[in-house]
Amino acid sequence: MASSDPNKLMAKADKLTKLSLTRWSADWKSATQLYEQAAIGYRVAKNHEKAKIAFEKASKGQEMLSSPWDAAKHMESAAALAKEVGNWTEVADFYKRASELYMVCSRPQPASDALAKGARALEDAVPDEAIQLYTEACSILEEDDKEQMAFDLYRAATCVYIKLEKYTDAATFLLRWGLAADKCSATNSQCKAYLSAIIVYLYAHDFKQAEKCYNDCSQIDVFLRNDHGRCASKLLSAYSEGDIEEIKRLGQSSTISNLDHVIIRLARKLPTGEVCALKTEAAEEQEEPLDENDLT
Amino acid sequence: MSVIDILTRVDAICKKYDKYDVEKQKDLNVAGDDAFARLYAAIEADLESALQKAESASKEKNKASAVALNAEVRRTKARLLEEVPKLQRLAVKKVKGLSGEELAARNDLVLALPDRIQAIPDGSAPAAKQSGGWAASASRTEIKFDSDGRFDDEYFQQTEESSGFRQEFEMRKIKQDQGLDVISEGLDTLKNMASDMNEELDRQVPLMDEIDTKVDKAAADLKNTNVRLKDTVNQLRSSRNFCIDIILLCIILGIAAYLYNVLKK
Repeated sequence: MASSDPNKLMAKADKLTKLSLTRWSADWKSATQLYEQAAIGYRVAKNHEKAKIAFEKASKGQEMLSSPWDAAKHMESAAALAKEVGNWTEVADFYKRASELYMVCSRPQPASDALAKGARALEDAVPDEAIQLYTEACSILEEDDKEQMAFDLYRAATCVYIKLEKYTDAATFLLRWGLAADKCSATNSQCKAYLSAIIVYLYAHDFKQAEKCYNDCSQIDVFLRNDHGRCASKLLSAYSEGDIEEIKRLGQSSTISNLDHVIIRLARKLPTGEVCALKTEAAEEQEEPLDENDLT
Repeated sequence: MSVIDILTRVDAICKKYDKYDVEKQKDLNVAGDDAFARLYAAIEADLESALQKAESASKEKNKASAVALNAEVRRTKARLLEEVPKLQRLAVKKVKGLSGEELAARNDLVLALPDRIQAIPDGSAPAAKQSGGWAASASRTEIKFDSDGRFDDEYFQQTEESSGFRQEFEMRKIKQDQGLDVISEGLDTLKNMASDMNEELDRQVPLMDEIDTKVDKAAADLKNTNVRLKDTVNQLRSSRNFCIDIILLCIILGIAAYLYNVLKK
């Protein structure tokens, strides 16, 4: 009984919307209602494919009735069902459409929420798409001056980047996070973001970048004076001296243990074996000028 | 009190008051011109007093006073040892009225003096005891400690008690350090949590403001609606309508009853 009714409702609703000789304008109101009922029926029957289609059509109906809010809500439900089905492109599309509809209602918060949900759904399957969605969500919030809400999104995006082992991207994103934190004067998060960025650079064996990053961040007073800044400088000096024990000790310290757990994992693995190489590199650079002096 | 005790005490008192013994002084004064003899006599007297002090120190029950007496004895010994070279120089000088044999004898006496001085017991027993690391400073000759560099003395010995105390002190210090480390880590965690809470609260303040305005609006709407509803219900319930309703109802019932009666017949 549960499956037949939604089918019938769908058929009726389709008939109402299809334009033909007898019908000059589609009756969206009743059609939408029927579509909604059918969709709910399908969902209860765990018929995800059909439920998704029903929600799609219901959303279109709501759009026609110029209620973008309901349309967006239906789109979200459709997207959730698409996730169950496993149709990732549709998931992304639906969530994006839902977010657009929310923006039409001039409600940026739910818009970014929709994108965030989409990104979370796509994290495992299509991580690149997920990152794009996260970035869009963050920009929406930033435009609206609501950076505080964006912190969770930044965190999630950073996790995805690190899972993909795209360390430079991760570090760049962390710096963006730091910028957002700066705008809303969330100094603790800001310093944590900068320290995480430095750790990510070090993990990627990019010592020069890490140093540059540290120099850039030291322009900011708060970071310089903060615990995190001191930890960063100690880490960099330990690296330049090739002191593996010191690096390991710093990795265990409480400053680092307060960061995000993904970053903690990186930090614990930090002396990634190339510390001695860095030391000899630095030593070589120093020797060259001496040679020049000898020649003259 | 035995006889021996009495005798010893009498001897001590006599020695003490020897200076008032005119005859003895006369003997001593014979050597008045002789600087050597004078010095020698002085040294002898000091030696005697030192010996006495050493004896009383060894008999002392109270460790602190024993230690003090020993220290004094050592000081005296050091002073006497210093004077010995002076005495030696004087011994070589020729003094009128002195035979060559006596001169030689004097020399021997002087030579014997250091040994006698050293022999005075000052509590430094030769038994093997811990020296507590003081031995190193014995090599410095410019810095003179009272004890002459002999630091294996009872005064500096670590008894079981004191070494036990020292160990316990070290252990307690280590435990305190560990405890303080734990506390500092806990404080770090607290600080981090507190700043996170701070940021979270900052984040929620504008949200609360929004909620505030929205709820105010909703409350105003609700009040409005309530008032209107009250008016409507009052209108409906006004007594005139009510009476009319009842009368009409009675009429209808009457008609129904009449019809019923008619039909039944």
